Amino acid sequence: MATQTLSRPEQDRSVEQTLQQLRKLYADAPEFAKAALDSALPALMAQAAESRTSQSESAGRIGIRLGRVSELTVIAPFAPGGARRLRAILRLLHGNFSAGTKVGTLHNMRFVFLDNDTKFLFATAYDGQWDPYIEDFATKMPDEMDIIFSAFEGWPGIRSPKVKNWIVEHQVSAEGWYVAHPDLTVAETGRLKRIGEAVDEFLDKVGT
Amino acid sequence: MATQTLTKPKQDQSVEQKLQRLRELYADAPEIGQAALKNGLSMLTQELAAPGRALTAGRIGARQGKVSELTVFLPFVKGGAMRLRGFLQLLEGNFRAADAVGTVHDMRFVFVDNDTKLLFATAYDGDFDPYIEDFAAKIPNAMDLWLCNFEGYPGMRNPKAAADWIAKHQIAAEAWYVNSPNLTAAETRRLEKIGQAVEELLDKVG
Repeated sequence: MATQTLSRPEQDRSVEQTLQQLRKLYADAPEFAKAALDSALPALMAQAAESRTSQSESAGRIGIRLGRVSELTVIAPFAPGGARRLRAILRLLHGNFSAGTKVGTLHNMRFVFLDNDTKFLFATAYDGQWDPYIEDFATKMPDEMDIIFSAFEGWPGIRSPKVKNWIVEHQVSAEGWYVAHPDLTVAETGRLKRIGEAVDEFLDKVGT
Repeated sequence: MATQTLTKPKQDQSVEQKLQRLRELYADAPEIGQAALKNGLSMLTQELAAPGRALTAGRIGARQGKVSELTVFLPFVKGGAMRLRGFLQLLEGNFRAADAVGTVHDMRFVFVDNDTKLLFATAYDGDFDPYIEDFAAKIPNAMDLWLCNFEGYPGMRNPKAAADWIAKHQIAAEAWYVNSPNLTAAETRRLEKIGQAVEELLDKVG
């Protein structure tokens, strides 16, 4: 971003400003929270000073991204009978989503039933930008997508030109997003795993 | 915990029985779903034949391999949404406190229902109770700063009550997928270091 190279004094000033704003925000918070703010202040200062280097950015059309990893959070109403169908299929799959692995950019995903099975939360962490990600699903696992998402009201089908609009309409962008390893894509993690195994093998041969 | 597999009896069904059940389920699905079931059958057969991978994260939540999910909807106190939003904006995506805990893979803060509730969803290592205890021990202040914005939060100095409060608002995921289920955050850090060391080594070799 444009503000990545703030000079030192400028940075210190903005840290001080940040803390001022925080104190103001917490002026009417419970006592224990104000106490927490005071004891957390040194760490927060360090954090605020660093913030220019690891800021979350847009994931494209919607959602936010930290480094190379983005978030997608969708809350959608079930179609009639959809909840029953989806729950049954998820239970039958019992945690097996080899199709997810096929996409190759998917870190994790969760399926959560809400409000007495009337709504559904789908949340995922993935690599890169929104549009290519959705297109990837459409080309690599269209049927799997339709089997699951046909449980929702108005799902137009993954092959429909309207599908992106449907997702955007039901997606809620996160306002805070943390990733422990923002530079690690799924592919890069795979590479590191192979390197780790090779190093272990090598050390075994050397006889340590 | 004692029962690590969620739906043991289901596992004993044969693949054919499961497929039959799916066909029944999708008999009244929208056209798109029915067509997808037909086209996706070969893939589904593989999935249904594979051993179950869904585990629990202890008290509540789903786990795959070593990685668990926690999903909560927390009701804001008056003024809480404004405070938390301001707090998050000022942090600008920096959560070094989470780095300090060392078992967090990711976490998201999503404001829902007209700023009356927050959806907090995270991926972490291990079981629910030790995870919350870890937060209480390592970053109680940071926890109080963001959780004070919700109804009924008892404070991290009371870790047992705080864990109960979180569990009360938690909704276990019905399904949970992790690409590298055996990589803890710590193991990932180790691999990153090995990767760097190997590159350095290769550089030196020329």
